[in-house]
This record gives sequence, structure tokens and C-alpha cells, in this order.
Amino acid sequence: MSFLGYERPDGTAGIRNWVGVISVQDNLNPVTRAICQGIYGTLPITTLFVRGQFGPDLEYAYSTLAGMGRNPNIAAALVVGLEPESTSVVADRIRNSGKPVETVVIQNLGGTIAATADGMRRAKRLVVEASKQRRRELPTDRLIVAVECGGSDTTSGLASNPAIGRVADRIVDEGGTVIISETSEFLGAEDLFAARAATPAVREAFLKRVLDHERDAMTRGVDIRGANPVPDNIRGGLTTIEEKALGAMSKAGTRPLVGVLDYAEWPTRKGLHFMYTPAPAVESMTGKAAGGCQMILFSTGVGNSIGNMVAPTVKVTGNANTARDFADNVDFDVSGILERDQSLTEAGDALYDFAMGVASGTRTASEVLDQRETAISRFQPTI
Amino acid sequence: MPRAIVLHRDDNVATVIDNGADAHSKCQLRGEQSGDVVLGAPIPYGHKVALKDIAAGGEIKKYGLIIGRATAPIPAGQHVHVHNVESLRGRGDVAAQPR
Repeated sequence: MSFLGYERPDGTAGIRNWVGVISVQDNLNPVTRAICQGIYGTLPITTLFVRGQFGPDLEYAYSTLAGMGRNPNIAAALVVGLEPESTSVVADRIRNSGKPVETVVIQNLGGTIAATADGMRRAKRLVVEASKQRRRELPTDRLIVAVECGGSDTTSGLASNPAIGRVADRIVDEGGTVIISETSEFLGAEDLFAARAATPAVREAFLKRVLDHERDAMTRGVDIRGANPVPDNIRGGLTTIEEKALGAMSKAGTRPLVGVLDYAEWPTRKGLHFMYTPAPAVESMTGKAAGGCQMILFSTGVGNSIGNMVAPTVKVTGNANTARDFADNVDFDVSGILERDQSLTEAGDALYDFAMGVASGTRTASEVLDQRETAISRFQPTI
Repeated sequence: MPRAIVLHRDDNVATVIDNGADAHSKCQLRGEQSGDVVLGAPIPYGHKVALKDIAAGGEIKKYGLIIGRATAPIPAGQHVHVHNVESLRGRGDVAAQPR
């Protein structure tokens, strides 16, 4: 199948055509927001901290900020910084994707009013230029689709996750890429997922990531394996951690695992990948969007409203109550699997068609309601 | 008639997807297996019922994969949950074992 998308100079394909205004550090957020409030067609990509971060933790911050600027949904980037050095770190990394990148450096411009005015003029020009891009018919193999869950309940493992898994299989079969993350959710079934690795190296890399994560949590007093399933899960019917993990894993479909990615790392091949991220949705989606995902399929049982700033997020539920009571924030209802004997294949295929529509321009609830947020994972404290 | 969904044709449990699945009621199977199972106990929404007799030590299969092991014999139609299943990988309702 195909979708209508925007071709970028680096060969990637966007499903949206935004100008991203990117804060290099948290102290730029007010200027970033002011520029975006004044200019239609911009997306504020904000962050907290960065100043005072160092080592690998700082590298994650820069790579995630730049990664979001490189995301194919961004036609051009305006990088907002305090001083020239940190600004150019992020700007240069986006620039080598070939898309237009401009900068606003507050210290050079003499304060926030001048910086906001300068930023607005640049953003206006970038938005007008970007608007000359046209959607073209592009093959599915240009898609990198992220899969995510939040607010899970019994229906997640029975309906919404397997339905998303069906879409994941179709995307991979058509030459596209799917990324699953949320590392802690694999505990209990990590051997089963590792068994799908395409090579021994991928298998070892995956297991190392998951088991290191478990060990790190343990040194901080958190026994993920021992604490799961939690009392709510048990009350809801989940019996073992492996049952819970398999329910979560079912959103990745059944195809082989071909790559293991670090947080915000871009895949270099097509197919199903695992990305190391924390489990909470905003951080997890931020990492995947920074890794190039144009769209996120998000399974929710009891209802989770948040989407990613850069990658349109399709909220899918298999819970008929949620589809009705949380309708404002639900994009696709697969509760027919449980309520009306709709087959998993039918529901998954209908979701696939909807997702391809989103790729071609159909808006999702979180975009229209602006329920979008960014959170870059921290791995060390600031000095 | 209450219903239970089977996720894979090799599964030996189904998950109840209706309220009111009482003991002695017939539960209709949906999904990857068809037919029905007579419940030997009330099964809450979201909980599992055995589709065939499972021996003590036998594997519990869901998604076509092993999700645990029976700690006692489980006749077909019985509730399958923490009281008669142990994880092969760790569980949250008992104190963690030293590893």
C-alpha cells in the first residue's frame, strides 16, 4: 500500500509538514513558546534541564533534541539557544539531514524581546517555504511506526495490543519499520522476545539491555520482576508476569526482531526494532519520535490522552466503556473484538487502513486538542 | 450466555469477557477456538478458565506460549489464577525469592 507524504532531502518521508522550534535548554522555553504562539505552522519542541548536564546524560539530551528536529515530519527547524556553542551542537546535527535549519541565540540578539521578534520572522519565512512542499504518493516502506501502551487494563492484552500487532506485521511485510520500547515491560517474557531475534548478536544486545535495566532498578531498590503483576493486575485477571509481558509484547506483532536501539537512536535497517526507553508514555514516545518514527499507535485500556508533539499519535482502545466515556481522546475503537466477535484480523486491518489515512493527513485527537508533550529521559542528575 | 476469548489455537485457557459467568453456566468460546466450556466455578471478567484438564505441573498456554505452570490439577471449566498457577519467572503476590 501507499500513503501521501512529504519527501525530505535525506530520503525520509514526513506525514506532516511542521516547522519545529526547538529549545536547546529549558531556559529557552518561554521564547520558543512565544515564537510558536505567534506563527501558525510551528511546533514547540521544549525540554527541561540540559544546562548543567554532562557526559552520556547530556549526549542523550542533544541527540533527542536533534533527533526530533531530524524527524521527517519536520520540514525545517529553528533552534533557540542561550549562547552559540550549545545552539550549534543541536543545529549542526539537524543541518546534516539537508533540511533548512536556522538559529536564534538570545545572548547575540540582546534579550528575549529581540530574540522572539527575530525568531518569529525566521519562522514565518520557514513556514511559507515549507508550505510549497506537496504530498506525493510514497510506499509503506518509508514508514517507521512506533507502538506504545499506557493506561493498560485487561482489554489491552486481549484486543488493542494484538490489533496493533496485526498492523505492525503488515507494515513490516511491506518493507516498513516498527519500533517497540518500554524496556521494563519485557521482564518476564524477555526470553520469548529474544527468541525472535534475527541474529545471535541482536538477541544478546536485547537481553543485555533488558537485564541491565532490571539490575539498575534493583540497585535503586526497585524489584520490577518481584513486584509484577501488581495487585490491580491480579484483580483484573493477570496471573503471572510473563502473561502481563506477553500481553504488552503482542503489540509488536510476530515478525523477527532485527535491531536493538538506544534511546533516540535511528534504525539503520527496515523491520521490527526494540528501543531502550523507560515505560512512561511521554518519555517513551519522545525517544521514538527522536529516532525517526512518523506515527505512533498507542493502545489504551482505561484511557490515556497524551500524544507526542512531533509524531501523530493514534489512540486505540479495546475497552467499549473507554471508547464511549473517553471518546474525546480516542481515535480508534477495536472493542468489537470483545463485544461483537469481530476477528483480530478484521480489527487490525481496519486499524491499518485508518493509520495509513493518518499518514496521508487525517488528524488525530491529540493533534487537534493539542494534547502533546515532550519529555527527554534523564539517566543522571545535574551538577 | 457468557463468552470467553481464546487468543491462539494452541491455548488451553480462555479469558472471560462478560460479567456474570457463574458456576455451572455454559461459556461460549470466541476467537481462535470455538465451542463452549461448562464453568465449574464463577469466573470474574478478565479472568481465565481452563479449556481442558491441566495436570499439576502442566503448562498454562495463552498467546500460544507458556504463561505459567499449574500448582495443582485444574479440571476443564475451573478458574485459572494465582491460587493454582505459578510463574516460571517470578510473581508479585508472594514475597520475592532470593535470586
